[in-house]
Amino acid sequence: MRNKIKSASRVKTFLSAFVALSLLNLNGWSKPLFPADTITDYYEVETIQMPKGLTAETDGLAVMPDGRIVAGFHRGEIMIYTPKTKTWKLFAEGIHDPLGIMAVSNSEILVMQRPELTRVKDTNGDGVADLYETVTDEFGLSGNYHEFAFGPVKDKQGNIFISLNTASNGAGIFPEVRGKLDTLGRPGRMYSAVPYRGWVMKLTPDGKLHPYASGFRSPNSLGFDANGNLFAADNQGDWLGTSKLYHVQEGKHYGHPASLLWKEGFPRITPRKLPVKMLDSLRTVESVAFPHSRIANSPTQPVLDNTGGKFGPFAGKMLIGEMDHPYLIRLMLETVDGQIQGACAPFLAGAGLRRGNNRLAFGPDGSLWLGQTDHGWAGARGMQRVRWKGKTPLELADMKLTPTGFVLTFTQPLDAATAQQLTNYQFQRYYYEYHEAYGSKQFDKQPVAVTKAELSPDGKTVTLKLGELKAGYIYELEMGKLRSTTQQNLMGRLVCYTLNRLQRNTQANP
Amino acid sequence: MKNIVAAGLFAAICGLTVSSASAQDTTLTIRAVEGLKFDVPRFVVRPGTRINLTLDNYDDMAHNLVVTLPNSRLRVVNTSLALGDQAVKLNYVPRTPDVVAHTPVVEPGKAEKISFVLDQEGVYSYVCTYPGHGFVMYGAIYVTRRPATVPALDKDPHVAANRKDDAGHAHHLPDHPYELKYPAVYRTFMPDSGPASIAVGLTPKAAYCWDAGSCRLRYAWTGGFIDQTDHWDGNGKKPTHVLGDVYFRDQGGFPIRLGTADRLPEVKFKGYRLINRYPEFRYLVNGIEVREMIKPLKTGRGLVRQFTLGPVSGPVYFVCKSGDGVKYRPSVGKIQDGFVRLPVGTRSFTLTMIAE
Repeated sequence: MRNKIKSASRVKTFLSAFVALSLLNLNGWSKPLFPADTITDYYEVETIQMPKGLTAETDGLAVMPDGRIVAGFHRGEIMIYTPKTKTWKLFAEGIHDPLGIMAVSNSEILVMQRPELTRVKDTNGDGVADLYETVTDEFGLSGNYHEFAFGPVKDKQGNIFISLNTASNGAGIFPEVRGKLDTLGRPGRMYSAVPYRGWVMKLTPDGKLHPYASGFRSPNSLGFDANGNLFAADNQGDWLGTSKLYHVQEGKHYGHPASLLWKEGFPRITPRKLPVKMLDSLRTVESVAFPHSRIANSPTQPVLDNTGGKFGPFAGKMLIGEMDHPYLIRLMLETVDGQIQGACAPFLAGAGLRRGNNRLAFGPDGSLWLGQTDHGWAGARGMQRVRWKGKTPLELADMKLTPTGFVLTFTQPLDAATAQQLTNYQFQRYYYEYHEAYGSKQFDKQPVAVTKAELSPDGKTVTLKLGELKAGYIYELEMGKLRSTTQQNLMGRLVCYTLNRLQRNTQANP
Repeated sequence: MKNIVAAGLFAAICGLTVSSASAQDTTLTIRAVEGLKFDVPRFVVRPGTRINLTLDNYDDMAHNLVVTLPNSRLRVVNTSLALGDQAVKLNYVPRTPDVVAHTPVVEPGKAEKISFVLDQEGVYSYVCTYPGHGFVMYGAIYVTRRPATVPALDKDPHVAANRKDDAGHAHHLPDHPYELKYPAVYRTFMPDSGPASIAVGLTPKAAYCWDAGSCRLRYAWTGGFIDQTDHWDGNGKKPTHVLGDVYFRDQGGFPIRLGTADRLPEVKFKGYRLINRYPEFRYLVNGIEVREMIKPLKTGRGLVRQFTLGPVSGPVYFVCKSGDGVKYRPSVGKIQDGFVRLPVGTRSFTLTMIAE
């Protein structure tokens, strides 16, 4: 025991010396960095002290207009954290898995709990909620544990979107259900025996809930990009060879067949019994596939970096959380041939994040609040806050498809010698199959040669020409030890581009 | 060759499964179960035992089982996380001498067998190295000639924390970061009710279950409130338990009738307001707003239900069927044929329910 303590403090001493040294080097910006810079030079992670006695499975998280943080926990508590004083206060109790929170004002929130979307409001000004008003419960509830509910998110027109998890054959349903029970929806690993399980729903300002899009398995959770496009993450499992991010559009179906049962006019049949080819033809493919375990096992909430640069060089793009890895994922999306597709890359690996990053919300100061949970699966508990320290790391800022390859844009000018070395760009491509079995192996995995790497005059853009571009594949790029002209290291070297569509002017074999 | 089937029941009770006196073949099945757990937290064999082990995946996600040398579990887990694009092909199992034996990745509902011999004494581990699982999902194999030296389950450093909980040692922790105040309201999965139910503890010893799906009181009990330990564990598969004795159980369905006594109205739940912590439920009955507040009887077992109605043109009936465990005392009207007929124009009334 003694020895352990001793060596721990030795490590600490070493670490602080290391930090001091790298800070010195950050000040002397023009000199080459030694020792090498790490992500902690650019971002700092604060672990929030949680209330004593709280089981901090953070289900939901939102920032209130006054900058306080409102968080919902697995045992039904809704608590408010004041960052200035670092104090917690109880706001509401007894919520059944508050997996989504939207702040309406400093005294009112919307909470997505298992049975309904609820307005929770302090009407008498004592700081504690006294009104729990049902906003909508117009969806089925079978009593199956996996019927989580996610959202709410609100569009510019005032419509609210929520998403409804399918049930799991890990358990049955209650003898009594809420909503219409359809036994045709019972077979299958993840099933939909009551209305709109596996759907994204739209609540219009008149209070009516409409089925919006189907084909989801475990859509945790929803978010908008800078252009107001709605996205939903979904988890690897049956019918999902790997985890995905969908661009959700009205009336479309995204591939998990169970929910089709509740589509108006759909034939009276258990949807999964239809031929796979037919089901495949009904679906709209994902914008981003997250290669399983390589990038994500269980992606969570997509969130737009709307900080205008207060969180670093990625403003205007989206981030998404991940349950099983101690990092977040950055998204780099573009529209190709009318469809949104793009790349995903681990972000903040090594910064001191825990796993289980289930909820993300930007504060008014541009810091990112993270709510962490495990919920019986892999993950962690509690909350962390990430701040950008003001210096720009060397990262891939954008990845765009061209007719002959990809254009990579970096946050800093690159060292020309390393940037033009072809061996610093190792591509492989593969795909995951659409089938009923849980997950998928990687099919047709092949290395793809890079035939040319051209650096732009400003040093920030590398144009790569590839030996082959093929639609329907994930292009995984592992970059070498690229450096900036000021000798900064490239922080994230792995990026995966979901190439669903080629550009219209692309030749079959460029 | 003689097979000794390790008793899973025994393992579940005391967390210790011991094979017989001398080294020989042992056959056992370990289930991967919900909540990143192996159902067998640990087992004991003598040196030289051949272990025929089946991993049976009862969970809803994929798992493997990797047997590792003493003191190498974390090293193997961390190495498995660094396998990169080889991970899937290798079943998330690193090729290191630390690995004694392993199953491939076993999909939910499937099983795989492995067989291996442990000659040297020591505490071996079995761990799921599927990404993210290895830090919580593991157990211990004690290879020893002296099973009596194996520590108690809750003190065993080789057993996963989520398996020590099951031994009943994790119940001292508080439920919340505050002392629960009464009346207390929880939306939770209640037994014998709809899935959108609300448990209300009026006092620590008197409670009721109200179904927000069908907008009605389902049952009431005394002696305690609820135990949510099972429901709170993991992903919430098990329902909450009622603590105490149920004295009332609704038999008549939704109780309010508008216009005629025999037609069930349409109901819609609108939420509740807390008044001195008592929830006042709000719901629509054929579009008419109803408010219902339930308080305990001042003395004895029973409830006082106070109703407030929106304007109704015709007569209003309230079902008071006998045989549900209580006697009804309405503040207005008389009980006849299992109904209270409220005087026309009644906007509020109380219904006292006294346990029989």
